[in-house]
Order: sequence, then structure tokens, then C-alpha cells
Amino acid sequence: MTTPIIDLRGISKSYAGIRALEGVDFAAQRGSVHAILGENGAGKSTLIKIISGVVQPDAGEMRLKGQPVRFSTPSAATAQGVVCMFQELSLIPDLSVADNISIAAPPRRFGLIDRKAQLSRAAELLARVRCEDVDPRTLVRDLSLSRRQMVEIAKALGRGPQVLILDEATSALTAQDVQTVYDLLGKLTGEGVTTLFISHRMHEVEALCDRLSVFRNGRHIETFAKGERTDAEIVRLMIGRDVTAKYPPKPAPVVRPPVLKAEGLEWESALKGVSLSLGKGEILGVGGLDGQGQKELLLALFGVLKGVRGKVELGGRGLPSSPVDAKTGQPRVALIPEDRKTEGLMLPMSIADNLVTAAFDRITRSGVINPARLDAAVQDGIARLQIKVGSVTDAVRTLSGGNQQKVVIAKWLMTEPDIILMNDPTRGIDVGTKQEIFRMMRDLADGGKSILFYSSDYAELIGCADRVIVLYDGRVVRELEGSTITEEAIVGASLNIGTAA
Amino acid sequence: MTAPRIKSEDKPLVIAAGFTLVILLIGTGYTLSTQGTAPLLQPTYLLQQLQIGSFLGICAAGLMLVILTGHIDLSIPATLTGAAMIGTAIGGPWAIPAALAFGLIVGLINGAGTAVLRVPSMIFTLGMDTVLRGVTVAQTGGFAPQDQATPLMLALAKDRFLGIPVALYVWAAVSVLIAFLLARTAFGRSLYAIGTRERVAYLSGIRTRPVIVGAFVASSLCAALAGVMLAGYSAKAYQGMGNAYLLPAIAAVVLGGTNVLGGSGRYVGTLIGVILIVLLNSVLSIMQMPEALRQIIYGVVIVVMLLIYGRGDRETG
Repeated sequence: MTTPIIDLRGISKSYAGIRALEGVDFAAQRGSVHAILGENGAGKSTLIKIISGVVQPDAGEMRLKGQPVRFSTPSAATAQGVVCMFQELSLIPDLSVADNISIAAPPRRFGLIDRKAQLSRAAELLARVRCEDVDPRTLVRDLSLSRRQMVEIAKALGRGPQVLILDEATSALTAQDVQTVYDLLGKLTGEGVTTLFISHRMHEVEALCDRLSVFRNGRHIETFAKGERTDAEIVRLMIGRDVTAKYPPKPAPVVRPPVLKAEGLEWESALKGVSLSLGKGEILGVGGLDGQGQKELLLALFGVLKGVRGKVELGGRGLPSSPVDAKTGQPRVALIPEDRKTEGLMLPMSIADNLVTAAFDRITRSGVINPARLDAAVQDGIARLQIKVGSVTDAVRTLSGGNQQKVVIAKWLMTEPDIILMNDPTRGIDVGTKQEIFRMMRDLADGGKSILFYSSDYAELIGCADRVIVLYDGRVVRELEGSTITEEAIVGASLNIGTAA
Repeated sequence: MTAPRIKSEDKPLVIAAGFTLVILLIGTGYTLSTQGTAPLLQPTYLLQQLQIGSFLGICAAGLMLVILTGHIDLSIPATLTGAAMIGTAIGGPWAIPAALAFGLIVGLINGAGTAVLRVPSMIFTLGMDTVLRGVTVAQTGGFAPQDQATPLMLALAKDRFLGIPVALYVWAAVSVLIAFLLARTAFGRSLYAIGTRERVAYLSGIRTRPVIVGAFVASSLCAALAGVMLAGYSAKAYQGMGNAYLLPAIAAVVLGGTNVLGGSGRYVGTLIGVILIVLLNSVLSIMQMPEALRQIIYGVVIVVMLLIYGRGDRETG
């Protein structure tokens, strides 16, 4: 038995009291391409952040080639040959390709950057990833997304990795570049480099990896060699059997007149022809792994994105042209945004101010605020969602996460919307508040409102939604209804594999 | 049963008001010991100082709206000068409307450049100021214009009504209007929302562009009004008459507790800030400080007071 190149023992990590990893043991062998699989929030990202020195574990030990190590910064990890390529591109758009590749340790001459050496080094690395067509002097911002990702890989190679971590590295690549990466990984493996490969694309995992590890809820569930498990078994390992929140009962399926119909929505590279129909009084779930176009879909329907193509029928009008148009036109549309701290709330401002931000017309007459109506609206919003507040003049940031989210929802209910777009409204809030929010969603739907509900937690979609559409790579790949909404079906569709299990 | 405590937003107000009293006491102590009189505590002297301060107060009132949105208006000096020159050049009953119309146009251009073209306001309004300076020089040929202020302009700046300078009534009217806008209108609330987090304001369906344009228009209108009154006070318009108003106006707003990055601040704070600066100036001149020392003390006071306010706990990112 050889010593594993990376060996983690008992690693735990919490963020603000929420467990991201718990007692994880994980090992990878030299010269192996090791896949790390798991649902959203399973702890994959935290794991690689710990290995690459971005965050430090709360407990546990890490060994590199048998020696205990502790990386306090990413550059400490890089110095030991652990190189990570993150899914968020880390290139600086306004610098040239050559500058970016050598950004951390440029070749020097007399203390100054040696441009010639830097250019030839960049050209050499680009040749290794078969991007000879990229001029090292080009600015990164002038490159396509796929080319940028290749430059990112070249940059990682330039650091002489012994352990290369690819986090969704292939998500933006064209088919041709994917093949290049396959070949490259094969070559690196031959040289004894270990690759940790994180991807939501099962066929890539199958083509590339020799070992697979499944994570779930911050725990390492199982590691096995490729071929030991079927796709269906892997999906089951990823889901597990967890206690879920209680959901209000769903009504029997009925035919609902559509209030929103979209056909072939396209926007940049995120939406590639999304079609959907939302009925009156319906909760339509949107599923899929993170970053498959769900956020963009909601933003597009709210009129935030410019240059959306496709056909939209929204009560006799088309796509809203702006959030103002969305909330004032008929039918009225509201968006509960993804990040309540930067998109939903003005944290330093008072609870009352936040509650009325979207509904000035309700509390004003020709632009002048009526104090009685303001008070009534604020009290109404607080009562409607049972927000626990001390004083409405307190800054909204003093509230707990769950109550903050209730403020966001109350703020939008104040506009009396007909269609509510919800972007992962239960992220990072406690179970009790989640159940209240589910209850409220069902009440709204029963009252004739329509809800488009994106959640990164499949269990919520199953518990709440009348129908579910699953997005993959900017398209709807599956539409589920009634009893066909199962975790297997959603996860299978999310990975775009045809599990019939 | 909560004990009365000072809210963090009001802390600067209390400090600024306290400091204003300290200045008064120091100045009075000085005059008592050297001359045996206390002019700083005489209503006539104070009213006269406030009359001069009203020009600054009106500029600061408009500027505050812009600062609340997280922007800045550096074109106040040339707007003030330009409006004064247009007012005196046109003369007659249309003098003041023409000067205000000039302010309106400047504000619309500033607002369009900042909110629509998305040029950083610091750059755009600085450019605007430079262009306007050039225009005023070209118009006058570089000489002091010979036009005189109209009787109405003189009256606004110099007359008294019931023993109180008319300029103070104008300042008070502007103050009431601005305070009302901020506290009781959707426009005012939108200013705070945009300054706190423009993204949230936009996603809440606030019409962010018109609101920002409105703030710049208010600032330029106030600067133009101050220009009209200052021309009345001096009986004429002259090159560079607005130069002394930009930095004190910014200082007054910020010393009054408005966050210079936008989003928070109360109008009463700006009022206190203006009074503080006016009194500081007059005490320094009573004490017959040499100009160099005056400038140093003036600058040090502003920096020290902002340090006392603390860097605040504003959300970043």
C-alpha cells in the first residue's frame, strides 16, 4: 500500500454555526484522477478550499505525501505543489494572457519583470493545452469564455502541480477543448500528477476518473473505483435518506389557466431556449444543479437582463422591460432575489424602511408619504409573515437570517403581486422559518397567486411544487408532475443522465 | 422600558452641536479677556453671521441630496458663478428665473451624465465645473462684468424683515422644503435606498435614474439660488465668486453626520454643520488669526471631528 499523496483525517469545518464538513476522512493516490461527487451543499467546495489553503479546518489533520501540513494561504499550498483551479474564473480581464499566467511569480531580470521570458513561458504553456492560436499578448477580456478557461488551466499547469484540483473546470469549455483537457489529464496522470475532479457532468466523470468519492451533507459517504457502482446507485448515495421538513398538503392537480408562458428564452450563454408555462395558483418548481441558468431565468422574467430573446406571454404583454415595469404592469411580478444581504435588503436601514421600499405607491399620495398609511403598511407586513421584531426602527441587519428573509418576502407581498419569482428563498435559514415560508407559499397559491420557485434543495421542490422543471445547461431537460416528482428523477435530470430507477 | 440612548445615526449631530457651543465659548472667552465684550453672543452679530452663512447653507442643502445617493457634485462653484452672471446680465424681472433655469439645465446634464451615461460623478461634475468656468470667462472676456444685481436680488440678500435678514427666510424655506422631501416623500426615501445599496433599490422597482437626476437638479438649483443671492449681497457678479463654497459645503454635510458614501444622514445635521463652519470661521477671524493658521485650524477641525465620529459600521462589499 503506497502512501496517499493527500490524506485528510477527521476534517471538520463550520461557517457561522452551520456545519459544512464533519469528520471527513479522505485520501487520494498518486497518479489518480479522483472524482468528488455530491449535491449542492454537500461540502465539495469546502473540501477543496481546505486542501488548497483557502480556508482552514476547525479540526482534523491533513497530510501531503505522509507529512502533516497546514496551508494558511493558497500560495502556501501552491508552493507545495497543490494547485487549484476554481470554478469562478480567477483571471484578471484587463491584463494580458502572459501577465495572468505568471501573475503570482513573474520571471524577473534585475528585479523587473522580464517580459520576453514571460511571453515565451506563456507560449510554451499555451502550447501544452493546445491553444497555440491564443496570442499571449491578448487581453484576457478579449477571449471567449472557453478560451479563458483554457488559459486558466495553462496558468495552473505553470505552477508545476503535483495535485491539481479542477472545480467545474470543464463547465464552460467547447467540445474540442474538453477533448484537449482529457488528453492533458491523461498525460499528467502518466507523469504521476494527482487530479481531483469536481464536475456535475456524469459522462465526464466516467470518461476521466478512476476513483469516485461521494459526499453528502458534509460527510464523506463512500469511495469506490470506477465501475463498481451504477449511475442509479451513485444517485442514491448522493441523496441518502434525510429527515426533511414538513410541507403543507398539495391540492389535487387541476387544469390551470396559464398566466405566464415563455418560449425559447435565450440570454448570452446562460439561457439556451427555456420554455415554460406557469398556471394561475400554481407553484412551479425549478430544479437543477447550481448555475444551469435558473437565476438568469428569474432575472429575465423580472426584466433585469437586457437582450433576452424569445417569446413571452404575460397577460397580454411581453417580457417586462425593467423591475419597475414588472411590478407595476398587469399581472404584477415580484422577485425574491437570491442574496438577501446584497439584493434583497438595505442592511443598515430600518425594518420599516426596508418593508416599504417596493411599495411607495401604497403609502404615498402624489409622492407624499402618509404617516398613517406607512404605519399600517409596516404593521400589516410584520403581521402577515409574523416577523419577530423589537422595534420597526431597528436596522434590519439586527434580525436573524430567517426574519430577514421574511422582511424581503413581506416587502414584495406589499406590492400585491400576481406572480412571485423566488430564488432559493430558504437558503441559510432555520427549519422553523422554512416551514412557515412553505405554508405561506401554499396559502398564496391557494389565493390565486402563481409562484415560480427555484430551490437548490430538491426535497423542497418535491415537498412544495405542483410541477417541477429541471434545468441543465440553460435548457429545460425534464418536466415532472404529481407523483413523478421524485428525488431520483430530479437528480437524474440534473445530471442529465437518463435514470429510470 | 428602554433607557433613552443616542442612536448611532444621531451621534454626529450631538457632537457637532456640542462642538459649536465649544467654539462659541472659546470665542467669547477670547473677546471677554481681550476686549471685555462678548459680540459672539449678541443677536445682531449672530444674525449677521448667519446671513452670510445662508449662501453656504443653501448650497449644502442641495448638495446633501446628491451625497445621500452616494454621488458628489463638484460643479457647485461654477454653477453658482454662472447663475449669478446670467441673473445680472439679463436683469429685470426675468433675472432670477433665468438664473434658476441655468441651474436646472446644469443639474439635468450632471444627472444624465451620472445616472444614464454612468460616468463617475466625481469626474463628470468636475468636468462640468471646468467647462462652465470656461464659458463664464469667455462671456465676460475675463473682466469683471459691469452688470448690476436687480433690486429683488439685493432685497433677498440684504434686506431685513421683522429685524431678521431676508436671506435667512430664504434659507429657512429651502431647509423646510429639503427636510420635507427627505422625510416625507417617496423621492426622499428613494435617495436613501439608492445610497445604501443601488442594486437593492433597482431590484425593488425604484426608478433609480430619475431619482439620481432629481438629486443633481436639486443641488444645481440650490447653487444657482445661492449665486443669485450672493450677487445681490455683493451687488454684482464676479469671476470665482463660488470658489469658496464647494469644500465648506461638503464639510458641512459630512460634519452634520451624512455618510459621505451615501445612504444615511439627517437634514438637521447639515444645518448644524453649516452653523458650525460659519461660527468657526467668524471666531477665527475675531481672534485675528493669520490666514495661514486659520486654514490649518479649519482643516484640522474637520479631520479631527470625522475621526471622532468613527469610521462607522457601514456594510461593505
